[in-house]
Amino acid sequence: MDVLQLAINGLALGAAYALVALGFVLILNATSAVNFAQGDLVAAGGFAAVAIAGLVPAPGIVLLPLVVMLMAAVGLVVCALAYWPLRDRPPVAVFISTIAVGIIIQNGLNGLFGAEPRTVPPVIAGGHLKVLGLVVAHQSLAIVAVAAILVTAVHIFLARTQAGRMMRATAQDRPVAAALGVPVAAMVALTFALAAALAGTAGLLLANQYFVTPTDGTNFIVKAYIAVVIGGWGRVGGALAGALLVALFETIVAAWAGHSVAMALLYGALLVILVVRPQGLFGEPVGRRA
Amino acid sequence: MLEIEGLSVMHGATRAVTGLSLSVASGEVVALIGANGAGKSSVLNAVIGLAGTTQGEIRAAGHTLAGLSPQRRARLGIGYVPEGRRVFAGMTAEENLFVACRAGARQRRDRAAAMYELFPQLGERRHAAAWQLSGGEQQMLAIARALMSEPGLLLVDEPTLGLAPALLQTVTAALRRIAAEGAAVLLAEQNARAALAACDRALVMRLGRVESEGTAQSLAGDERLLALMMGG
Amino acid sequence: MSAATRIAAWLGRDLNAPLALGTVALVAWPLIGGDAYTLRLLTIAGIYALAALGYQFIFGHAGALSLAQGAFFGIGAYVAGILSVRTGAGFEITLPASILVTAGVACAVALPVLRLQSHYFALATLGIAQVVLLLAVNWVTVTGGANGIAGIPALELFGWSVGRGWPMLVLVWSIVAAGALLARRLIRGLAGPALALLREQPLAADAAGLDAGRLRLVAFVMSAIYGGVAGALQVHTVRVVSPEVLEFPVMVALLAIVVIGGRTSAAGAILGAILLIHLPEWFRPLEKYYLLAYGVALLATIVAAPWGLIGAARRLRARLFPEAPPAPPAARAVAPRPARAALEIRALVKHFGGVEAIDGVDLVVAPGASIGIIGANGSGKTTLLNLIAGAERPDSGRIDWGGRDIAGMRPGLIAAAGIARTFQGVKLVDDLSVLDNVAAGRWRGWRDASLALAHGEAMALLDRVGLGADPWQPCGALPPGLRRRVEIARALIGRPSMLLLDEPAAGLTGAERQELAALLRALAGDGLTLIVVEHDLEFLEGVAERLICLERGRIIADGTAADIRRDPAVIAAWLGSVPATTPAGG
Repeated sequence: MDVLQLAINGLALGAAYALVALGFVLILNATSAVNFAQGDLVAAGGFAAVAIAGLVPAPGIVLLPLVVMLMAAVGLVVCALAYWPLRDRPPVAVFISTIAVGIIIQNGLNGLFGAEPRTVPPVIAGGHLKVLGLVVAHQSLAIVAVAAILVTAVHIFLARTQAGRMMRATAQDRPVAAALGVPVAAMVALTFALAAALAGTAGLLLANQYFVTPTDGTNFIVKAYIAVVIGGWGRVGGALAGALLVALFETIVAAWAGHSVAMALLYGALLVILVVRPQGLFGEPVGRRA
Repeated sequence: MLEIEGLSVMHGATRAVTGLSLSVASGEVVALIGANGAGKSSVLNAVIGLAGTTQGEIRAAGHTLAGLSPQRRARLGIGYVPEGRRVFAGMTAEENLFVACRAGARQRRDRAAAMYELFPQLGERRHAAAWQLSGGEQQMLAIARALMSEPGLLLVDEPTLGLAPALLQTVTAALRRIAAEGAAVLLAEQNARAALAACDRALVMRLGRVESEGTAQSLAGDERLLALMMGG
Repeated sequence: MSAATRIAAWLGRDLNAPLALGTVALVAWPLIGGDAYTLRLLTIAGIYALAALGYQFIFGHAGALSLAQGAFFGIGAYVAGILSVRTGAGFEITLPASILVTAGVACAVALPVLRLQSHYFALATLGIAQVVLLLAVNWVTVTGGANGIAGIPALELFGWSVGRGWPMLVLVWSIVAAGALLARRLIRGLAGPALALLREQPLAADAAGLDAGRLRLVAFVMSAIYGGVAGALQVHTVRVVSPEVLEFPVMVALLAIVVIGGRTSAAGAILGAILLIHLPEWFRPLEKYYLLAYGVALLATIVAAPWGLIGAARRLRARLFPEAPPAPPAARAVAPRPARAALEIRALVKHFGGVEAIDGVDLVVAPGASIGIIGANGSGKTTLLNLIAGAERPDSGRIDWGGRDIAGMRPGLIAAAGIARTFQGVKLVDDLSVLDNVAAGRWRGWRDASLALAHGEAMALLDRVGLGADPWQPCGALPPGLRRRVEIARALIGRPSMLLLDEPAAGLTGAERQELAALLRALAGDGLTLIVVEHDLEFLEGVAERLICLERGRIIADGTAADIRRDPAVIAAWLGSVPATTPAGG
């Protein structure tokens, strides 16, 4: 297949990964903790869409707001159970508690839906476009569009609204934010809700083309994790770029050498980056507290 | 406005403050003077609610503060300027101001405009990221940020640290003006001369205790001031 | 002493009543309800216990969250499985092969990976595990690909076939017992306190001259070996090997076992493994949801009992039946090592971003001198100490110590060269006794790991710093003034020639300061070079013969305390500069 064609396919995957990585890095910045359940929240979002589509047969674009709300609520529960009681303990405690949340989500989904791959309706409709000899599935376009809209919306929320500013202030310096009257506990909870909603959206978007199974989470968390390391630990823009790079690498190398070789090379590249350039390809975030 | 009685602060396992009492009235600037490690910051942190274990009574704005979270204390009208400025580095100067204001969007803009009047330099740099501001500009931003909620009590920790002498005057003048407009100001300073230039009364701290107390004039003329701060 | 009595003494030291009771219960269980399924589950529990025992080395003792333990387990299973199917080799061949391969893989990846901090280490080990999994799936000619290899024979040891049921159960649990005893032996001596220091206070471990890199390497390789042995046993128990053994759930199970049972006690690994392997059985009425119980148990433990079940039981026992502490060990004098070398600092510079923390410092400290460093907040005092101790790298300049430039050397090597330090925020392991905290500083490797010797020396130093009365109390219970002295004692056990003290008198009461000053004078009297950073001139006057005043990273005054008090530059630095114009007061 043509490299350009592959890049277009990779772009859709990368857009979905970007949503996952964005949620991951928002929680990382707000709590300095790794949310290992972020991948399982993707699977949860996919199955939430499966369940809602079973009740209301509607295209993905209609399911999306419902999935977002449901997943935001799940994010609040994750925050209350797995982060808040451990907020004063070393970050590794949250790492482990979110692994536990991941197990609970995986096996809960397995119990509710079974282990078979499931699919959800496309965002708008099936079919594809032909542009300059390239085949572009409608769903791929829709994934990129939805992801772009959401990333922009999150950006505007963080940059332009008072709640967004308070969330950033909480992430940058929680004690000072609290001392200035910012409701920091609510901001952390909101961060978890937002991260889970973003992961859930990725689940809804990917489940149509790639299907969804309860054990998908490990794959997504590893990809998000790699994207954030490549992009510079804690850099929002870097995480988005990292997600695109991971997806393009995965798609293009997989077409050329097979999926397993692509994955092995990806992990190899990750190890090299960790050892040679642990601050990521794009450097460390500006103005982070030491 | 602020009354502290018998305050002791444990910082981790270290005793930072022992049996301190003080009061600050509205319109008054009171300074805590002492060398690094004398316990000044711990007093301010105890008032805003960021210190570790505290004993003793702190009353501000008619409330007993024990058990209240920092954000509740802030909402009672306590403004806080932390040591080392700690502006939100990734946000612009204006965003730093906005985030500390709990009123509506219009009042937010009005308050920020008032701050640019107090610190014209800040107005010129309002859209710059806070980490790009100079040390002096960051200090002004930290003070302005604390004033956004129109506090009745302002806590200012080491505002002159690392400032060029020319900027000291801007900062001390601003603190005087804030007090003149009716706020109570509690200032912690290592720079005794700058503090005495800014305050009405001062307490000299050493090793977590008050060594001496008096008006700015009496302490400024006190030859023992250096010995009180250094020990011996 | 005959070999038999030595073994008996060894067992006697290592066994205690609850452990004996637990063992009896463990033996009685299969005897009473010993159907084939019970025996099989207990065998598998033993195998997981062994892998978890290994995992405790790296995760529990060294405190690094490795996500590669499942991979080592799987590698062990594949190596033993492939060898026994292809060559018909017995366990006497396949077991050493599994050990060799897992240890080899661990050594190969350790070099780059072990240097990484916390979550980076977790991610890197996860990456390694994923690569191994991909290899198993895709190297079809060797591994059998996604289907794996079936029909693996029963375990054969020197021609004797170890059948299903009782024989395998006994063999597995014998190896578990041996593994547990070995693990306890390795941790029992000075290694226990040393690993605790490495895990809880890595900076202090570096500064005390512990070879942290080697300790971590040994922990990682040991964890791999235990994982490999467990995998080799697993493959002969379940008689197939497939990529499933390398997948994330195995890793998660091991993590859960160690978190739930207890991170550092062998009993915890065993209890955790028995519970976790049987949990799905006990929750079978939940049908499809039984694995959910796994996650809930893990989450509940990490939130409510972070030290695990064994840790919780120990705490409970200590509260219910407080034991009288043993008698203090006999003190063994630690001969001081008087300084013969001078410290010569030339044109030292260190920037942080645009700030010049140290801006051209020249300083010569004669052997056995005691000097005090004063200066305002941010004047560079602590940075100077950090540069000497190796905690920071200078941008330029030399630090000669005994004729050798130590600038930029690793803290551990500088400590080994005879420069010890204490920290501004005291860095102790709160759960360990005062005695163990001091003894930990003596760790130099397993060859010289006698706890008795280290305790003896620690006791002498505790007597010296005035803490000899209650050496067994945990450090967390000490008041602040005494914590500093524990840190000084720990610094002294490495027999330094020079001691760097960062604000040793901060937070002390007047009487405590006088006692500390007397102690420091006595140390100086032994010929130790002292560099003391302090704010309080009065305290320094009683300790140091010469004072240095730093201001904005430069030395602005150098002389006796009386000189310093009169120096106009010092007075200006101390009292601050006056604002350009003074607004009216009042």
